[in-house]
Amino acid sequence: MQITTLFFGATADAAGTREAKIAINDGTTVRELIEKLRTDYTGLATHKLLFALNEEYAETDTIIKDGDEVAIFTAVSGG
Amino acid sequence: MDLYELTTEPIDINAVARRIVPAECGATVTLDGYARRFTREKDGTTRETEYLVYEAYEPMALKEMAKLIEAARLKFEISNVGIVHRLGRLEIGETSVVISVAAPHRKAAFAACEWLIKELKHTVPIWKKEVYADGEAWAEGESA
Repeated sequence: MQITTLFFGATADAAGTREAKIAINDGTTVRELIEKLRTDYTGLATHKLLFALNEEYAETDTIIKDGDEVAIFTAVSGG
Repeated sequence: MDLYELTTEPIDINAVARRIVPAECGATVTLDGYARRFTREKDGTTRETEYLVYEAYEPMALKEMAKLIEAARLKFEISNVGIVHRLGRLEIGETSVVISVAAPHRKAAFAACEWLIKELKHTVPIWKKEVYADGEAWAEGESA
């Protein structure tokens, strides 16, 4: 199945992209996806990563569904 | 009426404060957060910023702002809230965020405004890049 990953700020710089469509296996959790992304984009390794699933903060053991949008980012720094 | 917006245009602080005023209120507290030139580091040195760049995960940022307003209204005796955050490049001294809280009495408005900015800095997906004379860095906040 295919999902969309989004990157912002430091993770966009580290990944060298702001958006990537990637194929993952059924039953993949957010934690497993982030491990895969750390392998695919080695620049992410040095960052503590947060994420959102379909525009909401989610637990790392949440299973990702086909067509989901997963955003990967560092601790927010607005204000 | 509450309002929560993201904009790449300069923010008119008075307009934000005035747009949220309801008849039953007696005080509005407004925070004007703006880009700071000098930042004191933990090691005692001072770093000079030339300008800032903000970016957001916009649809999620707007949802999180709406959630904060709802949570603030449950927690404090307040009426309307306005939150506007600037995105894009900001020069030193330009307003990055405005939070206005209207309440029947000022005490709750002060408390809610302080709570809202603290929560915004922890939960709303917006990131700040600081650009210096000799480099740049994305600020990483405290984790949510």
